[in-house]
Amino acid sequence: MVVYSFFIFDRHCECIYIRQWLESTSTPAPAQPLSRPVTASSATTTATSTAEKPTSGNKLSMAEQAKLVFGVIFSLRNMVKKLCGPDDSFLCFRTGHYKLHYYETITSLRFVMLTDIRTENLKLSLHQIYVNLYVEYVVKNPLSPVEHAGGEGVNNEMFELGIDGFVRTIQ
Amino acid sequence: MASTTRARLGEEVWKSRTDKINAELVTLTYGSVVAQLCKDLDGDYAEVNKQLDKMGYNIGLRLIEDFLAKSNMQQKCANFRDTADVISKVGFKMFLNIIPTIANWSSDNKQFSLLLDENPLADFVELPDDGKAQGELWYSNMLCGVIRGALEMVQMQVDVHFVSDILRGHDTTEMRITLIRYIDDEMPQDDE
Repeated sequence: MVVYSFFIFDRHCECIYIRQWLESTSTPAPAQPLSRPVTASSATTTATSTAEKPTSGNKLSMAEQAKLVFGVIFSLRNMVKKLCGPDDSFLCFRTGHYKLHYYETITSLRFVMLTDIRTENLKLSLHQIYVNLYVEYVVKNPLSPVEHAGGEGVNNEMFELGIDGFVRTIQ
Repeated sequence: MASTTRARLGEEVWKSRTDKINAELVTLTYGSVVAQLCKDLDGDYAEVNKQLDKMGYNIGLRLIEDFLAKSNMQQKCANFRDTADVISKVGFKMFLNIIPTIANWSSDNKQFSLLLDENPLADFVELPDDGKAQGELWYSNMLCGVIRGALEMVQMQVDVHFVSDILRGHDTTEMRITLIRYIDDEMPQDDE
């Protein structure tokens, strides 16, 4: 499997961590119109759109991507809860080109990972990232602030190395 | 999750997933903190209580993540009674190896008491004999802050305070916890 990118959002709906692994590989993107990598329609698992690879060379900055990703997971999560009650939770969705995995803690931290479509559900892996990396290296780091505005405290070296190593193990 | 399952969970986390340190080290460290505060604030015990609560609050904000990671809880408590059960049987068990008794529920299920039959923080402690501390200092007030901070992170605004303390000569050590409200999910900022 291939991991494209990874996001963490805090309870204030702010993106506190972004990581991207694959730069554009195949799609020669420049000529294409600016395609939004995640739109509401891509959530319906139809494989119609052409260049929806989140990491392909479209011109969206990572910050814009994060905003769009958050918009989608926030709506989907609320929709799932409304349709099936509070016990249900949103796990993942896939399009023709990628799969988005979602894990939310009770403290409203949201972990999102974009991978290729063959990947199994990564909820457990995201939970492990939370338990073994986020809690250990971010929460328990006495020098990191409690609120991570602008990603402060999350982007420390131990956490980065941990994430890198972890992603390598699930590949 | 049934109450007995929680007791077992607390037991298991305590046994297998908690790093343990010498209890006396904790007791003496906490004692030094309180003693230093009393000295620094010149015996203004109301302020000492406040500072202890604040320190606890900051601990609670982080401790909740460790708690969730170790206890592996993924679902929110269905009601406040469940919350009380989890605090006592899993939370206190996991971090202090005690299980406070839950008592005195109010009729609207929004208030309960935790009775600390034993309090590891208060071993070896005698309150200062200055005529004031006995009536003003809540020695273990940090615990109140911890609970307040931790519950705030899981979207519950609560008020926590001590109503009695064996150190003050009462029969029990009792904390009163009141649910003020459930905090709503924050909405993303509308920037378009």
